[in-house]
Amino acid sequence: MALRPDELHRIAEGLGREPTTVELYAFDAQWSEHCSYKSSRHLLKQLPTTGPNVVLGPGEDAGILHLGEHNGERYGVVIAHESHNHPSQVVPFEGAATGVGGIVRDVLCMGAEVIALADCLRFGDVEDPNSHQRYVAQQVVDGIAAYGNAIGVPNIAGDVYFDEGFNDNCLVNVIALGLVKEDEIIHSRAPEGSAGWDIVLVGKATDASGFGGASFSSLTLEEDNQEANKSAVQVPDPFLKNVIMRATYRVFEYLREKKITAGFKDLGAGGIMGCTAELCAAGGFGAIIDLDDVNVAVEGLPPEVIAVGETQERLCWVLPGDVTLDVLRIYNEEFSLPEIARGARATVIGAVQAEKRYVMRHGSEIVMDVPIDFLTGAVSNELRHREPARTTPSSARNALEPGGLAQALAAINACSREPLYKEYDAVVRGRTVIPRGHTDAGVIAPIPGAPFGVALSVGGSVIEAVRKVVAVGARPIGLTDCLNFGNPNNEEHYALLAGAVGALSDEAKMFGLPFVSGNVSLYNESASGTAILSSPIIGCVGVLDDVGNVVTPALKHPNSQLYFIGTQETGSALKAESKRIAAVLEGVNDGLILSVRAIGNDGMLAAAARMAFASGNDFGVTFRDGVVPEARCHGWLVEAAEPATFEAFANRTLSREDWELVGITSVAGIDGEVDVASDGRFWDLDELHAAWVKPLAEIYA
Amino acid sequence: MSARVAVLVFPGTNSEAETVRICRDVGLDAESVHWSKGASLPKYDAYVLPGGFAYEDRIRAGAIAAHDPMMDYVIEAAGEGKLVLGICNGAQILLEAGLVPGTGAVRKPTAAFTHNAPSGKFICKHVHIKLVAETSRCAITAALPSGTIIPAWSAHGEGRLAATPEHLNEITSGGHLAFVYAHSDGTVDDAAIPNGSALGCAGLTNKRGNILAIMPHAERDAWNFNHPDLADRENILAPSGGAILFRAFAKALS
Repeated sequence: MALRPDELHRIAEGLGREPTTVELYAFDAQWSEHCSYKSSRHLLKQLPTTGPNVVLGPGEDAGILHLGEHNGERYGVVIAHESHNHPSQVVPFEGAATGVGGIVRDVLCMGAEVIALADCLRFGDVEDPNSHQRYVAQQVVDGIAAYGNAIGVPNIAGDVYFDEGFNDNCLVNVIALGLVKEDEIIHSRAPEGSAGWDIVLVGKATDASGFGGASFSSLTLEEDNQEANKSAVQVPDPFLKNVIMRATYRVFEYLREKKITAGFKDLGAGGIMGCTAELCAAGGFGAIIDLDDVNVAVEGLPPEVIAVGETQERLCWVLPGDVTLDVLRIYNEEFSLPEIARGARATVIGAVQAEKRYVMRHGSEIVMDVPIDFLTGAVSNELRHREPARTTPSSARNALEPGGLAQALAAINACSREPLYKEYDAVVRGRTVIPRGHTDAGVIAPIPGAPFGVALSVGGSVIEAVRKVVAVGARPIGLTDCLNFGNPNNEEHYALLAGAVGALSDEAKMFGLPFVSGNVSLYNESASGTAILSSPIIGCVGVLDDVGNVVTPALKHPNSQLYFIGTQETGSALKAESKRIAAVLEGVNDGLILSVRAIGNDGMLAAAARMAFASGNDFGVTFRDGVVPEARCHGWLVEAAEPATFEAFANRTLSREDWELVGITSVAGIDGEVDVASDGRFWDLDELHAAWVKPLAEIYA
Repeated sequence: MSARVAVLVFPGTNSEAETVRICRDVGLDAESVHWSKGASLPKYDAYVLPGGFAYEDRIRAGAIAAHDPMMDYVIEAAGEGKLVLGICNGAQILLEAGLVPGTGAVRKPTAAFTHNAPSGKFICKHVHIKLVAETSRCAITAALPSGTIIPAWSAHGEGRLAATPEHLNEITSGGHLAFVYAHSDGTVDDAAIPNGSALGCAGLTNKRGNILAIMPHAERDAWNFNHPDLADRENILAPSGGAILFRAFAKALS
């Protein structure tokens, strides 16, 4: 258990007696960092969460951003972001797969259709083919693929990095997007006037898997506890989830026809207890749950396992009694859940009650009876910390030696990710505009019949994620964050967390972008005391009002002028970034920019090579003499349609120091080679491409 | 009146939405028909079995779905000469049901789409497929000249045609090979095959030519927005690219 002695004392004091076994496990889950954000909530308050685009900010299972209006109806993009780091380290395939399963439910339960996935992965040193790190890196990808592909949600964005700092703790962050009409949002709470309504559990039969998962994820991983840790990981069933999702879409339709406002929430950490307690507490109610009515996979499960175990593929409805039978019929008969998986079904397990107590019955006994707000209310762990050090990324790069670009592109953290993401279905549902690949933001056209595009990117900072979305011509509208850090009780790690939240907050405010959902994953540390590299991971959603204006990084023509838009500075100079973003978007929309790529940490030289690869190596790039392309990493490389018009536009929209003519596109020379060339250095694109695709192809063969 | 097309949804199917959408966009009266509503199947003029993982690909992809009661109706309808199009998992089901290539008895498959080689893994990759059947050979593609190149997404873990040498012989000699993988310019070589498929096979038809089983998803590269750099940006929602296959299907039903 993760409860501390002072928390145990508080529980006994609050209840006026010693807790029962079930209550003890309930508080252990509910007061864990995973459920309560007790060490991070006061920090997260700094993040901006409001704005004109925010339909629903943080607080429920997912946030919602306004997408646009079509046929008189307002549409929102639902977004949720979560980590499944600990489970993925212990049982990588199942851990990663259930990470996808969980995030999909978070989006689904807002009344939304799930439309896209992204994954952000950090693995250890995978050089040694026999290492556990390599096994983890392979199995995590297989697990994400197996789950996402089967449920039929396209995976359109993501990133992956390798560092020995993740040898003992991999990071598996997943993001899901959904589409919902804004007047059809379902909230994660018992609705007004719902006292006496049914609490309906839907999904897989409850078993002993995932018992203790919430507190497991809120502790560091201890090697001698491997077996117990494994049992805390859940078992994925994407086949059942596929059917539950489709059945749930049918239930949404039914409830809309009946004009019923229901409550709906996913079962995650804390199982039946966590979900039903939060649903009812959020509506200002209590609940009474009969554990004997829960469909279980095996008889004789202890009540605490039924109550807090994290069996996957379950959701919970709060429904008025007169529609309950119809909803049960949809799940159990029309979509035949009991025939899809043994013991799976929708079933009434309790009722909402006006009295604000949370009660659980098992057999003839009351096994839990606590004030609901005490169970779900704020616990805090405001830790003292040193003044956080704010790090500024370094921009200075050295010029590469000839041959150096091939080596740089073949570096494990720069090489092609295709061998990995080709295992993911990027195009299921037929709405994909730009799949993951040459761009750093995936784009979909989510509403059949409407011209909107939605872009999604991930990055290690707000500005990185924003630039990637802008690079496909999408206007950024909101953010999510997952903060992956070490043990917060360690002052140094806590300071890093606090520093990162401050930096994210500053950046987001600078762009006027809200965080609408997020997650913290602390305790990413092994028993040997090695914490991970601190890893904030940011997701950014962008919108194209007309997806016909989308732009790709593929170079389009020979002899086009190439311009750098950006800055050589960091810190305060970034204040002008909003102006540069507006200029890039205007240039794309007006057709002045034919192709564009955000420049990553690997610099403008690598960006040029990637734009050439995207053209199928049809076009190369020749940089102007005196330009040191590898030294530029804060902006975009763009191909102009027509130099005079572009320069007039740049003069009008940008400060003169924020743009520069840096090169020109080229075609094959007399030797038949298409090159990237800079200052007398020449790199054959075919050779560069071969070097770029090789490293991960060996690992993900 | 446009033809009524049923897009079958088995437990585990995941591509019904885009399949219905492209069928409607080329003028067909298409709707998805769910496994609990199988009894309504006889009233339709044609059937599409879309992609997914029906019955979780247990045993082999398509093996259980081939025995689903919905397939009784499809087998009967196919025997009457109605058109049946299977895409990806739908193609796997048609092979497992013995309807394609149809050189053996019903539900006694003579060939299978099985694990990709060499990786054995699911691969999502943009491909082109080339119509190699003669114009008169397959009713569904009759509107397309032989040699037509269609863009599509190959997205499957089990898409490699496998059969005994005798059965492969029957496929070639009987003209069952409908589509092969090709490059965008129409050239055919091993590099164009994403999954090690025998004969470079991407699609098969039956003797009568009223059934087509095709592995790649033409319906996922079927609108201008699916391929923006190649497309007419002014009509970004218009069908194009892979839609050509469905236009031919609609023409065959008109």
